[in-house]
Amino acid sequence: MAEAWANPGAFWTQVIAMAVNDVAWVAFWLLFFDRAGEVRGWDSSRVLLLFAVLTTSAGLVLGLLANARSVGTLAANGGLDALLALPVPPLAHLLVRRIDTANVGDLVFGVALFLVTGGPTPARLGIYVGGVLAASVLLTGFPLMTGSLAFFVGRGEAGDFGLHSILLLAAYPADIFTGAPKLILYTVVPAAFVAGVPSTLVDDPDPRTALALLGVAAAFGVAGWATFTLGLRRYTSGAVWTRA
Amino acid sequence: MSAATSRWFAVGVGTAARRALAERGGLAFTLTFYAVIVVVITALWRAAAESGGGTVAGYDATALTWYILASEAATVALNIRMIEVVGDDIASGAVATEMLRPASVLGVRMAAEIGRALPRLAGCAAVGVVVGATTVGAVPSAAGLALSVPALVLAIAANLLAQHAFAAAAFWVRDARSTWFLYQKLVFILGGMLLPLETLPGWLHGVASALPFMAMAYVPGRLASGHVEAQLLVVQAAWIAVLAGVAATAFAAGERRVQAVGG
Repeated sequence: MAEAWANPGAFWTQVIAMAVNDVAWVAFWLLFFDRAGEVRGWDSSRVLLLFAVLTTSAGLVLGLLANARSVGTLAANGGLDALLALPVPPLAHLLVRRIDTANVGDLVFGVALFLVTGGPTPARLGIYVGGVLAASVLLTGFPLMTGSLAFFVGRGEAGDFGLHSILLLAAYPADIFTGAPKLILYTVVPAAFVAGVPSTLVDDPDPRTALALLGVAAAFGVAGWATFTLGLRRYTSGAVWTRA
Repeated sequence: MSAATSRWFAVGVGTAARRALAERGGLAFTLTFYAVIVVVITALWRAAAESGGGTVAGYDATALTWYILASEAATVALNIRMIEVVGDDIASGAVATEMLRPASVLGVRMAAEIGRALPRLAGCAAVGVVVGATTVGAVPSAAGLALSVPALVLAIAANLLAQHAFAAAAFWVRDARSTWFLYQKLVFILGGMLLPLETLPGWLHGVASALPFMAMAYVPGRLASGHVEAQLLVVQAAWIAVLAGVAATAFAAGERRVQAVGG
């Protein structure tokens, strides 16, 4: 954080740029529902709530745990050497080592969007915070798992693609889809649990749905940790000068 | 463009294309990513058409599906963070070594990026045809689909030129990396990648139609959706000429600045 704040001008430029980026997504959904009307029970207010959860959790993970998306690249390029020499848990240090200031804008935007359009009450706020935290665990574990495949296949793009896929798909309400697309969103790429399910819980709290969310988040969190840990045993030095 | 320039440009494109084809893992990921995205987004628009009485802004479900298949192919084939990559090369001074070549920095980069994009574009097109045929059946117009092929290549060129023009800001602004977010959203909405421009409110449709982003995704999508409007290719070519001029001017000015400060 100190490094990111060393250049306040660049910090705020990137935060504002990301916030404007998020406004564009809001604009897309407003335009879409203006044309399409209600689609399978979803309208603009529900989607804005979904987007608030998504941007908040994405901001937490991509902003404050920015290296979650870079594990594959670091592993493939031998960029973990300096990290392994430190007397700290590698994964924990790796995750917090870098902050992406642009994505901090997501965090700010998401919270503001919920406060403005989410009808915050103490109960809704509590569910929102819980949903965001669960989604954050999932958003950390999924790219960590896909990125750690680089330890086994030697290529680093899987993490980035995995992250982009889950983020892009999480921005769409899963209930709009049927058949194979919907199955994809609840299983292989669990994007429905990143924003759709948490936002539905805010409007309609249900214990079973909440347990499902927590279970999926925990499963992918553990999968990410396990894949990274197993992969690290195979890691060999890339003889690259890096900073820890 | 002189014969010598055309020759090295073609060599650059061919070399980059062969390199991209050799990177089978990267190509596979791109095509998988494209397949997942289009399956989901086309399903979204078909649901919208179903809720809207069968059409949305004059597009039926089949037309919307083929529109998205083409508009997404035109953008997924490219590195979405190209502006960041170019900006980093400029900020780090790596571009200074490229200036030592007896060839235009912008030209060499464009040749490499077009070459890298072409195999991905071809792969996305093939995947798109399969997705379209299996979800909604035949393309609305064979002529439209045929016209969308050159439109996709022109869209790639327009997008790359615009990204380089944006990235050239790094010659003056130390941290222009974050502009890729904004650029991407301009292509998403004003470029028609996520939604046909006809779905925009009238005033916004007018604005989008007057900007170069429509050449990067809307045109191939419009043609593939069955609207045989060949004049759109002329529009793309015109925007490519404008964007090439802007990018070349920006890079020339930026390279002079690099020399002036001893980069």
